[in-house]
Amino acid sequence: MKIRDQKNFWSGVMFIAFGAFFAGWAQHYDMGSAARMGPAFFPTMLGGLTFLLGIVVLIQSLATEHPDGKLEPVNFRALVLVLGSVVAFGLLLRPAGLLVALFVLVGISSLGSHEFRLRDVLLLSVGMSLLVLAVFIYGLSMTIPVLPSFMRE
Amino acid sequence: MELIDNLALGFATALTLQNLFYCFIGVLIGTLIGVLPGIGPVATLAMLLPVTYALPPTSALIMLAGIYYGAQYGGSTTAILVNLPGESSSVVTCLDGYQMARRGRAGAALATAALGSFFAGTVGVLMVAALALPMVELAFKFGPAEYFSLMVLGLIGAVVLAGGSLIKAIAMIVLGLLLGLVGTDVNSGVARFSFDIPELADGINFAAVAMGVFGFAEIIANLEHKDKREVFTSKVGKLLPSKEEFKYAYPAVLRGTALGSVLGVLPGGGALLSAFAAYTIEKKISRNPKIPFGKGNIRGVAAPESANNAGAQTSFIPMLTLGIPPNAVMALMVGAMTIHNIQPGPQVMSSNPALFWGLITSMWIGNLMLVVLNLPLIGIWVQLLKVPYRLLYPAILVFCSIGIYSINNNAFDVTVTAVFGLLGYVFYKLRCEPAPLILGFILGPMMEENLRRAMLLSRGDATVFFTRPLSLGLLVAAAVLVVIVALPNIKKKREEAFQEVT
Repeated sequence: MKIRDQKNFWSGVMFIAFGAFFAGWAQHYDMGSAARMGPAFFPTMLGGLTFLLGIVVLIQSLATEHPDGKLEPVNFRALVLVLGSVVAFGLLLRPAGLLVALFVLVGISSLGSHEFRLRDVLLLSVGMSLLVLAVFIYGLSMTIPVLPSFMRE
Repeated sequence: MELIDNLALGFATALTLQNLFYCFIGVLIGTLIGVLPGIGPVATLAMLLPVTYALPPTSALIMLAGIYYGAQYGGSTTAILVNLPGESSSVVTCLDGYQMARRGRAGAALATAALGSFFAGTVGVLMVAALALPMVELAFKFGPAEYFSLMVLGLIGAVVLAGGSLIKAIAMIVLGLLLGLVGTDVNSGVARFSFDIPELADGINFAAVAMGVFGFAEIIANLEHKDKREVFTSKVGKLLPSKEEFKYAYPAVLRGTALGSVLGVLPGGGALLSAFAAYTIEKKISRNPKIPFGKGNIRGVAAPESANNAGAQTSFIPMLTLGIPPNAVMALMVGAMTIHNIQPGPQVMSSNPALFWGLITSMWIGNLMLVVLNLPLIGIWVQLLKVPYRLLYPAILVFCSIGIYSINNNAFDVTVTAVFGLLGYVFYKLRCEPAPLILGFILGPMMEENLRRAMLLSRGDATVFFTRPLSLGLLVAAAVLVVIVALPNIKKKREEAFQEVT
């Protein structure tokens, strides 16, 4: 047995896993009957379908070659920095306020790029702060804490 | 006449100062992201969805629509001047548009694209207005069984007409349907798949899914490739096409418009498919052209540009009248309506007539703005291309994160978006097209509800979907689509058609 299309192979695995999870977890709920479907009915159906489709994709990946079938390396640096900066922003927003969270977001995410220039990042942070204050706080009057909690009244 | 009254109501709504302003902002942002490669309209709509929460629903939808068709205009500018498709539906415009620019006819190419788009946009808007009433009347004849079958057809059609593996696309739809079911079940009150997280009991935030899968995943994917965008400012030259060029181009505009208008209505249609199909047809029709296709034939610009704009307009028809989105952009529009507590479907026209007709007429006004806006401002747009991506993406992240936070004022949604960013990156790595997932996500709860109702009415008899003629017809159409595409002969042709132009 040889995997001819790695991308499809792992797609198949992914669909099988998702399908099994949804169909399996749905069994915590009431199935009901065909006429009075309970909350488990539709998810079980769909989960089963995803599972089956996953198997088909998996089998296909063993049978047919694809020119773009090889898995490429994952850019962990960009992945972790971009998503991490977003999560950090979410966690910081309420306690530390918009301005701090924004500097952290721009700073961390910029590290994900090949070329990082501190001066540009600082300028960008200041520029974005002004823009965000103008558009979101004054323009759309959103209620987002701007300053850190200890500096607020 | 009723149509005139309706259009009058539409203009009265769209021409208020506030709505004109948001229409303008929409087309401006649309052109901007259309010009910049690497950010598509789907990602931008997803990012701006939360921002529109603060606006009245009509203004919000007018602005979002403006972004979509504005992007079609902007995309052509980059395609012609820099040979980069700023936006996927402009891929074909690169072929002849850039060659025209190299021969010093950039101005003519840009003007042809803009005027062709404007003409097509006008026809598209008229089509939407004319077809809306009969479509809504038809929709009211639909029972739950018909709705369910229609959604099956819509979802199948959406993946059949797109490129890539059919089975994977269907699996992505079903996965989307499943994700759409997360949250409290309206019938039983059970919080499904919520793992006792109170925020998940309300379901996964639509904007979080769209923004994560399209916005964040796209940024991470873009960072993998080195920033190798070069800008060479070619001379734009005289703006107006010569008489000869005009005479040669206008039949292509008409054909492109007609084709785009039809393809836009189909599930899976819209701008991208229309542009591809129009280019292929022009190439077939024009035998022995003076300037061959791919070497700067003006028809190769006129037809796809008209078609993508017409398709962009008419893809609003199924979304507005049936509540069923034919592509990912329309799925986002449905999401925007739900955020504003408007239940999409045939009743929108009667319950919110000002919104319905205001949106339609605003599209025509927006198209007019685009012509006026784009031709003189081309120089500025080209300058924008010089902004390096390393400055662009943190700015995008800032807007996204603030936007997503502001929907419910909680940080949980921001984390959920990051999770979907990760998932979107996995999809990208595994060659799984994410657009069907979004369609499924939007339709999941609606589909379950209609399935339940249909089965309740038939007392558990599943044959109801095949015994009601309308429902049967829709399902047969879906089955025929799958069979046609699965036939080896057509499968090969379909793959070729999608590869030929790229």
